[in-house]
Amino acid sequence: MHSLRRLFLFIFSTLILLALSLKIEELRVYQGAQIAIYALGISSIVLLTGYSGQVSLGNGAFMAIGAYSAALTQIHWHLPLFLTFVIGTLSAALAGAILGGGAARLSGPYLAGATLALAVGLPTLANQFTVLNGETGLDYTAGTPPTWFGESFTLYKWFFWIVLANVMLMMFFLRNITSSRYGRTWKALRGNPVAAQLSGIQVGGSKVLAFTISAGVAGLAGTLLGMIGFVGPTGFQLGLSFALVTGAILSGVTSLAGSMLGAVVLVAIPELATVIAHRLGDTERVTSNLPGLIMSTLLILTVLFTPNGPAEQIRKHKARKQ
Amino acid sequence: MIGSKRKGLGVVTTAAIATSALLISAIPAHAEVGVSSSEIKLGITLPLTGPASPGYSKIAPAMKAYFAYVNANGGVNGRKITLVIKDDQYIPQQAINLTNELILKDKVMAMVGALGTANNLAVASKVQIASRGVPSLFVNTGYSGFADKKKFPTTFSLFPSYVMEAKAIATYVKENLPTAKTCVLLQNDDFGADAAAGFKTGGLTFTETIKYVSGTQSSATGQTWVGKFAAAKCEVVVLFGVGSANAIALGVAAAGGYKPQWILGSVGSDVTTIKITLNNPQATALMNGAIGVSWAPDSSDLTDEYVKQFREINTTYNAGAVFDNNVMVGMNEGLLVVQALRAAGSNPTRKSLIAAIEKKGSTFATAGYSTLAYSATSHVGQTGFWFGKYNLAGELKSVDGKYTMYTTDSAAGPVVKAEQKRLPMPAKGLPSNS
Repeated sequence: MHSLRRLFLFIFSTLILLALSLKIEELRVYQGAQIAIYALGISSIVLLTGYSGQVSLGNGAFMAIGAYSAALTQIHWHLPLFLTFVIGTLSAALAGAILGGGAARLSGPYLAGATLALAVGLPTLANQFTVLNGETGLDYTAGTPPTWFGESFTLYKWFFWIVLANVMLMMFFLRNITSSRYGRTWKALRGNPVAAQLSGIQVGGSKVLAFTISAGVAGLAGTLLGMIGFVGPTGFQLGLSFALVTGAILSGVTSLAGSMLGAVVLVAIPELATVIAHRLGDTERVTSNLPGLIMSTLLILTVLFTPNGPAEQIRKHKARKQ
Repeated sequence: MIGSKRKGLGVVTTAAIATSALLISAIPAHAEVGVSSSEIKLGITLPLTGPASPGYSKIAPAMKAYFAYVNANGGVNGRKITLVIKDDQYIPQQAINLTNELILKDKVMAMVGALGTANNLAVASKVQIASRGVPSLFVNTGYSGFADKKKFPTTFSLFPSYVMEAKAIATYVKENLPTAKTCVLLQNDDFGADAAAGFKTGGLTFTETIKYVSGTQSSATGQTWVGKFAAAKCEVVVLFGVGSANAIALGVAAAGGYKPQWILGSVGSDVTTIKITLNNPQATALMNGAIGVSWAPDSSDLTDEYVKQFREINTTYNAGAVFDNNVMVGMNEGLLVVQALRAAGSNPTRKSLIAAIEKKGSTFATAGYSTLAYSATSHVGQTGFWFGKYNLAGELKSVDGKYTMYTTDSAAGPVVKAEQKRLPMPAKGLPSNS
C-alpha cells in the first residue's frame, strides 16, 4: 500500500511536470531537463556518500562512460533510444562495480583520490581512440519528436519528456532502495563499519553494491546529458564531478529530495552570474569567473551554517516544532 | 512510517517545485524574431576567455565595432544592428547553452561568425538551428562538412575549407619544392582529418606525419615533434596545427638550431597567438622566411583598400585594439552581414536573409581575394589561397607580388591558378547594395 501510494505520487507529479512543460517557454523547458539530469547526478552522490559513507569525486567519469556507451551503440549498432539508456546505465554500473571492488579497500582521502584520478584521466581517453572522435565528440541524438504530438511540440519539450520519464523512474527506484533493507544496511555502514560488521553485514559486498548502483545512476544521468548536450571530453570535465559534489553538499548529502534543490542552484547560478555581471559592467572576466565565485561562496556558507544542507535543516526544524 | 510518507511526499513536492522554479512566464511573440522597427539583433558565441581565447577573442569586438560604424552612419535601412556576444570558452556544451540563450532568451534574428568546428557541429545537432530556421552566417571554421547544404541548410561558410587549403599547399610544394623531404604536423581531430584528406587528394606524401591531440601542445611535446622532424631529416615542414602548437614547434626548433623551410597553415599563423603562446613580443622573428598561405590580404598591408578602411574604423570604434588578422576577419564578417541584411529587403526575415545570400551572395564585397561561391546550391564562401613569405615583423608578403590565387573545391576538383579578383570596397566601407 505504501509503495503504491509512493508510485501514485511519482506518476502524478511526473504528469504535472509534463503538462507544465507544454505551457512554458522553451529555454525554461531545456533548463528543466538540465535540472532533472543534475538532480539525478547529485542523487548518485547522495546514495554513495549520504547512505553508504563512501566519497567519490569521480562520478562525472561514470556519466561520461554512460554517455559514450549510449552514443556508440546508437551510432554503430543503431539501437533504439530507450535501449541506449539501458546500455549507458549498465556500462557505467559495470565500471562502478569494477572500481567499487578496489574502492571497498579504500576509505576517506584515499578513495577520494582514486575517484579523482578517474575523473581527471577518463576524458582524455577520447583523444586516444579514433572511435571516440576526439574533441569533436559523438553525435548522440533523440531524433525529432513524433509528428503526432503536433508542430507545437518542440524538440526541447521532447528532450524534457524523455529526461523526466527516466529521471522519475530512477528516482522512484532510488527512493525504494534507500528505504529497503539495503538502505538501512548502508546507513549502518556509514554510521559505524565495525558495528555493522559485528551485526553480520558484509561490509565489502555492501560497499561494492552501493558503488555499482551509484555509478549506474550517474551513467543514466550522463546518457541523458549527452542526449540533450554534448558527448565529448569537454562535456565531462573534472568541473562536472566537482559541480555534482557541490550540489550534493548544498542540498545535504543525506537527502534525495534535496538533490533537486542542489540541481536548481547549479543551473540557476550561471543566470544569476550573468545578471550580476551585467550590473558590474559585463566584462568577460567578471562573467566567466563569477559563477565559480558564487558556487564557492555558497559551498563555504553551507558547510559553515548548514553542514547537512538546507533541506535537512528545514526537516530538523520542523521536527523540533512538532 | 509517517516520517517515511512525509519523506516520499517531500521528494515529489520538492521535485515539482524545484524543477518548475525557473519556469518563468513567456515573452510575447514578434512578427520576425530579432527584428523591430529600429533594431536588428544578432548573436555570436566564441572564446573570450580560456586557452583558446588569445587572438580569437578579438573577432567579436571587431565585428561589433564595424556595426557601431554602420549604426553611426544610419544603420541598415534605418535599423541599428545590435550584436550580443557570449563567451563559450571553446567548450561545445557552453556553446549549446549560450546559443540557446541567444535564440530563446535574447531572441536574436541570426547567429553570425560562431567559432569552432566542434562547437558549430554540437549547436547544429542539439539546438537544431536548421529546423528552427535560424541562419548561422559566416561561421568561423574551415571545416568542409559545413558545405553540406542538405545537412546544414541555414549555415553559411566564409573561409575556404581546410581541404581546399591542403590541396593548395600540396600543389605549391609539388611545383616549388618537388624534391624536398616534406613532413607535416596535424591536429588529431576533424580539423586535421580535413587537412589530411586534402593533402591526399592533392597527391602530397610526407616523410613524417605527426598528429597531436588538441590541448596537449607544450614545450615537452614540442621537443618530441621537432626531434622526430630532425631525425627524419625533413627539409620542408608544414605546420598545420593551431597557433599555439605551431608557435611551440617554431620556438623549440629555433632553440635547437633546426631550420627547415616552414610552411604555416592559415589557422596557425596568427601573429597575436604566436606572440602570446611564446610570451615573447619578438616571436615573429621565428616566422621570418616561413611560407604562409592566406585567403585575404595581410592585415599589415596598408596599400590594400579593405585593410585601410577597416583600420580607420578600428581606430575610432574598437577601443584602441591592435589591428591584426583577427580584427580584419571580424570586420570583414560584419561587412558581409550588412550586405546580406540589405539584400534581404526593407523588412528582413530569417527566410529572406538566407534567400538573399543564396541569390546575391556571390556579388557581395569581401576582403578575400577570390569571389564568393554562394548560390542556391552552395553555401561555400571563399575558395582560394595565395602564398607569401613572412618577414621579421611577421608580415606576409606575396611570393610573386601578384597574389596569384590557388582556387579549388573540397572534393576531387583540380587546383586552378588564377589572378586575384575581387569587388572594390564599398565607398567609406558602407555597403549600398539592395
